[in-house]
Amino acid sequence: MRVLALLMLFVLGTWTSSRSQVSYERLVQSASEPQNWLTYSGRYSGWRYSTLDQITTKNVSRLALQWAFQSAELGEFETTPLAVDGVLYGTSPNDRAFAIDAHSGRALWRYQRVLPPKIQACCGMVNRGFALLGNRLFMATLDAHVIALDTKTGNIVWDVTAADYHQAYTFTVAPLVVKNAVIVGTSGGEYGVRGFVDAYDATTGARLWRFDTVPGPGQPGHETWTGDSWKAGGAPAWLTGSYDPELNLIYWPTGNPSPSNYGADRGGDNLYSNSMLALDADTGKLKWYYQFTPHDLYDYDATQIPVLIDANWEGKPRKLLVQANRNGFLYVLDRTDGKFLSASTLGKVTWAKGIAPDGRPIVNPEAIPGVAPTRVCPGAIGLTNWFSPSYDPETRLLYVATTNECDVFTGSPQQYRAGHDFLGSIYMPDPVERPSGSLKAIDPLTGKQQWEFPYFSNPNGGALSTAGGLVFAGDSDGNFIALDAQTGRDLWHVQLGAGIYSTGITYQLDGRQYVVIPVGSTLFAFAAQ
Amino acid sequence: MCVDRAVRNACTRWGGVVLVIAALWCAPAGAQKNPVTNPVADNPAAIKEGLSLFRANCSPCHGINARGGGRGPDLTSGRWNHGSADADLFLTITQGVTGTEMPAANFEDSEIWTIIAYLRSLAPPKSTAPVGDRAVGEAIFQGKGCPSCHMVKGRGGLLGPDLSRVGAGRSAAYITDSIRFPDKDLSTGMIDPNSHFGPARVWDTVTVITATGEKIVGVARNEDTFSIQLMDRRQNLHLLSKKDLQKVNHERKSMMPAYAEDMLNATDLENLVAYLQNLRGD
Repeated sequence: MRVLALLMLFVLGTWTSSRSQVSYERLVQSASEPQNWLTYSGRYSGWRYSTLDQITTKNVSRLALQWAFQSAELGEFETTPLAVDGVLYGTSPNDRAFAIDAHSGRALWRYQRVLPPKIQACCGMVNRGFALLGNRLFMATLDAHVIALDTKTGNIVWDVTAADYHQAYTFTVAPLVVKNAVIVGTSGGEYGVRGFVDAYDATTGARLWRFDTVPGPGQPGHETWTGDSWKAGGAPAWLTGSYDPELNLIYWPTGNPSPSNYGADRGGDNLYSNSMLALDADTGKLKWYYQFTPHDLYDYDATQIPVLIDANWEGKPRKLLVQANRNGFLYVLDRTDGKFLSASTLGKVTWAKGIAPDGRPIVNPEAIPGVAPTRVCPGAIGLTNWFSPSYDPETRLLYVATTNECDVFTGSPQQYRAGHDFLGSIYMPDPVERPSGSLKAIDPLTGKQQWEFPYFSNPNGGALSTAGGLVFAGDSDGNFIALDAQTGRDLWHVQLGAGIYSTGITYQLDGRQYVVIPVGSTLFAFAAQ
Repeated sequence: MCVDRAVRNACTRWGGVVLVIAALWCAPAGAQKNPVTNPVADNPAAIKEGLSLFRANCSPCHGINARGGGRGPDLTSGRWNHGSADADLFLTITQGVTGTEMPAANFEDSEIWTIIAYLRSLAPPKSTAPVGDRAVGEAIFQGKGCPSCHMVKGRGGLLGPDLSRVGAGRSAAYITDSIRFPDKDLSTGMIDPNSHFGPARVWDTVTVITATGEKIVGVARNEDTFSIQLMDRRQNLHLLSKKDLQKVNHERKSMMPAYAEDMLNATDLENLVAYLQNLRGD
């Protein structure tokens, strides 16, 4: 009997262990296991949507706190936790990380990276989360390393240097795992780094390829930079991309050219800043690109989640890429070849008068900043920003958090110094209009707005939609909110005490659906009572 | 750096003498590293660089042209709160100012000198010294009922901004505007656009109509998507849920009356501004 029990324990142990091995095939098929949340956006298509439907429009008013986990780091808590077979894995500011029991919120392990002083992180010492493959978690750190941790212990398996943090290279991105590669992109657009997207071998940490987002001499696109400006050209790549396994293409968005607010010393389009890159997943070779804001003067990073949708376009099925861009336009591209299909505005836009049929913006000359202040919409924070949108295939709506801020820009020349601010002057919020925001439900193909839920303040959190007919969102004043996905009606909200800088996830365990949101220094888990 | 905060504070009190002594007393290398005069003074390239650094890092508080923002003082007045020598400015930038919102900055020494060169290049306004009589101004402040809303050194009302340090953080022109045209700037201070900490709270007048039709007018001490916390004219707090309100209207004007010429003549205004400019938190 005892032997049998031991044997059963062994079998069970082996099974549990093999279940916790998250293969690439499981990542590709992540939509088929909605009880887990395996990648930053929930699935490779960037939808941040779950087919879980236990929490519905009918019972969401009975959501109640199940547990709370204190990360012990106050700041912008921007992580997207991963939920894998009963365990949650997340990161918090200052490159802390944790694994917790998804039933109880109790920690299994904690990790704290020892960071050197003088890290140059423009917008907080933040981290947006892990990627996962097998029994390893991958994290990109503020000191520009990529590390692999063991899922069971949090111990470091490998640790490689990607770039020099003294030169203001940092990582805040949640990596993307494709096959056996860990894909990351650098931050540092405020400091004149030369941006890149890297792939590392998940087993060994060896670098597989690098795509320089600012082409060097002899590379195509180099001619879009005058003089030596490319050397400190920026074009960081600080947000997680999406992936199409059929096309084997990674869609990775890039950020602003440096200096962000002064363009006279970097004449030209400044490729591949503010672009969507389609990279071959195996080689990192550029298949196509589309540049949203050529020669940007407003800090309009294009680092927003690429949303991959297959839909009929002008009567024919087409593989599309939709992006709600910080520059105020919602774009539809053909993701096989990057062809520009359409653009519509998400709100007030004055920097461009529209997007021409060839995909180039029609720039408004009156909005070009000089030494004298120039008011431009949207402001540098953008009509939207890095926080995730959500695409619901039931409603066929894209949910996008937006800001209505306009800014007053100035521009003045600045000398580049490695590791220092390289902004070329500054922008200020327009003192007349108080910035606020909203969550908008938009038909991604037509740009037509279905509904809008107003926020008092401009948001820093995105949206999660579920098959329960709900959209979960968070505002900058600490409210975690559940809206009716069809109408935008507020069905439930709770004040969690700090601005929300992340987007929720959902998972199911022992027959119960949970919704988790990081706020302040705390991870909160809710379920219906 | 050998010049620590204690020495800095001593400098503020006793001027540059202590600094020089401290510099001699500390390791010679430190003294050489931080010369007490600006090595790039009047250098046009340095001034240009300083302008850029100033705009990117300092202008959110001190204003785009260094003439004072919502939060930091006018730096063109020729009047410095924490010592006017190059070495004093250098220390103010590197160490910050204890008890204020001025943080210690993360610049290289050479960058600080360019910022100081830029600040020195700015022509001060023709007249910066207060021309009024501050004692008369204080009497006007009391007589006009200003303390019913404004706190000064622990005495006064709660509805408007505390003015105990207003002279250290605001230019005479800003104070004059705030008296004559209080609706002009309702912000509590320009936020740092890179910090993404959300919008500044404002001294806006908010009128709400409750479900029963009651009208409440006040200043929002806080507000979010679902609630608002109002202080009315009598300084009573109203803690309101927006779902219970028929209407929330942001008036985009101050609750303070605009003191035009017929309410406050030019001489009285000068005296009042002189009094307020002298409120420096000391």
